[in-house]
Amino acid sequence: MHIELQQVLPVFIEPEKMAASEVWGKLVAIAPGEQVQVIAPSGSGKTSLVHFLYGLRKDYAGKVTYDKKDIRGFNPEDFARYRQQEISVVFQDMRLFTDQTVFDNINIKRVLAPYHPESRITEMANRLGIGSKLGKLSSTCSYGEQQRIAIIRSLMQPFSILLLDEPFSHLDEHNRQIAMTLIAEEAAARQAAIILADLKRIDYFPATRILNL
Amino acid sequence: MPSLSARHIAPFFDGRQNKASRWFSYAGLGIGILLLLCAVQMYININRLVREKSTRSTGYEYISVSKLITNENMGKDNRFTPADVQQLQQQPFLEGAAPLIANQFRVKASAGNIIPFSTDLFIESINEAFIDTVPPGFTWQEGQPDVPVIFSSDFLEMYNIFAPGQDLPQLSEKTVSSVSIMLECYTPGGMQQYKAHIVALSDRINSILVPSSFMHYANKNFGTTAQPNAGRVYIKTKDANSPELLQYLEANQYRINKDRTWLGRSKQLFQAIISTLAGFGVLVIVLAMVLFSFYLQLMIARSKDNLALLLTLGYSPGWIGRTVAKRWVPVYATIVVVSLAITAVLQYGFKMSMPGRAGLSPWIHWSIAVIATGLLAISVMVNYRLVKKMLGRL
Repeated sequence: MHIELQQVLPVFIEPEKMAASEVWGKLVAIAPGEQVQVIAPSGSGKTSLVHFLYGLRKDYAGKVTYDKKDIRGFNPEDFARYRQQEISVVFQDMRLFTDQTVFDNINIKRVLAPYHPESRITEMANRLGIGSKLGKLSSTCSYGEQQRIAIIRSLMQPFSILLLDEPFSHLDEHNRQIAMTLIAEEAAARQAAIILADLKRIDYFPATRILNL
Repeated sequence: MPSLSARHIAPFFDGRQNKASRWFSYAGLGIGILLLLCAVQMYININRLVREKSTRSTGYEYISVSKLITNENMGKDNRFTPADVQQLQQQPFLEGAAPLIANQFRVKASAGNIIPFSTDLFIESINEAFIDTVPPGFTWQEGQPDVPVIFSSDFLEMYNIFAPGQDLPQLSEKTVSSVSIMLECYTPGGMQQYKAHIVALSDRINSILVPSSFMHYANKNFGTTAQPNAGRVYIKTKDANSPELLQYLEANQYRINKDRTWLGRSKQLFQAIISTLAGFGVLVIVLAMVLFSFYLQLMIARSKDNLALLLTLGYSPGWIGRTVAKRWVPVYATIVVVSLAITAVLQYGFKMSMPGRAGLSPWIHWSIAVIATGLLAISVMVNYRLVKKMLGRL
């Protein structure tokens, strides 16, 4: 899948921010397997960018295209197809089912388009240090644990683009590195591109391109 | 999504609350479907009973129609003009209409010396196609001294009732044809005598029928007009109980034997009752479905956040709609099958309560099963569309 931003401008953006941005109002095409880090301070629209790319919001000018098709014209079924097979995401606000267990939160994504067997959930959870939490309700988990649940969930499906919106904000340095390694391995196995939006440059993210928002 | 099924997303729906409205909607749906199925089955039963009653060997019924004599029109000529007859003939629900032309002169009949019997008489003629028994000899040409007559079986029966009291011999159907009758036609200038003999008996037409050619000649030469108005008209129809026919007759104040059409009149009443029942059934079904849609809407509203997140994760609204709708297929199927079974039992009971009705089947009509299946499909489809539409709004 090819994803492209064509002169995308959020409706709320201030003109001076736009001029300095390497994303807003520009043509940005993501090549397969590319690892892009988008850097921006708080409030510059990182989450908006991820939401625009994932098709959750439409309050922007310009175009976001999947395989040259403007996603404004997509219906919910079109989005469902892409989200099952081509594009995965880790939201900054995690978005977990609070009334479900950790395992169910992850498995609900896996059963939709199974890329991994069920046993991989336990493996990954153990690797990220939340193996003991699988049977617990996600609402009982800390933010750091919830972030790791969201990361594992995003890796359960096939994808060619992985969107990460400040995915390590609640993790310590050690856990960040473990999570990043897992993400990098999974992306490499799929030859997928990663777009990681964060406040500052993340050294252990092997970025092939850095864009200032 | 081959491995994906309803059980995966079931925990994400909050259906614990509002059980009462769900059960009320099930009950309502059951009652509505039962009413509708029974109404349709009764409609079919009544049509079958009417058909059984009205079937004749020829497939047609011949009915005598006259104008209703009331106090208001008593003094007037209440006969059918040629225009009246033509209008009757043009009605789409009639296969034909023929006037009975009566004599316009005095006729007297006597049976000669063998049976000392003499009476003033009326004779009539009608298009031969309307007579049930027309022997080859039922013709007359000018100058022919004898006139063939077709006599009503009912008249023969009446004769045989009063004959013994008058010291007259009773006559069998066979011997009646051998009786010679002298027909005296009184003309303005005198009297013309013909020899009449009965060539056939008619069960259909209550009259003394002569060939049309004789009637035409006699009315022209002995009477005042060759084309008089007709006191009666026979109509030929496939269905004496058709609502159109009954309405037409009533609108024109035409009178027929009510016994011939009671079934039709009752049928109209039954059909009105059944239509009301069916309408009520449909109303109950709609209300039950509305109630169930409220339950679904409430369930979706309660599970809104979970459903929105499922869509965000890539679940297809169409798939969720189908899955949710399918979840109620067993419940709906049970409701429909139970309604169908009750209808079948009632139909069997109805047949058993009416022995001797060969046209009535103890089984439900196939269309009932089709309607039941259709209702099941509609219910599932409505739920699917509703869920999909609501998911689209999330």
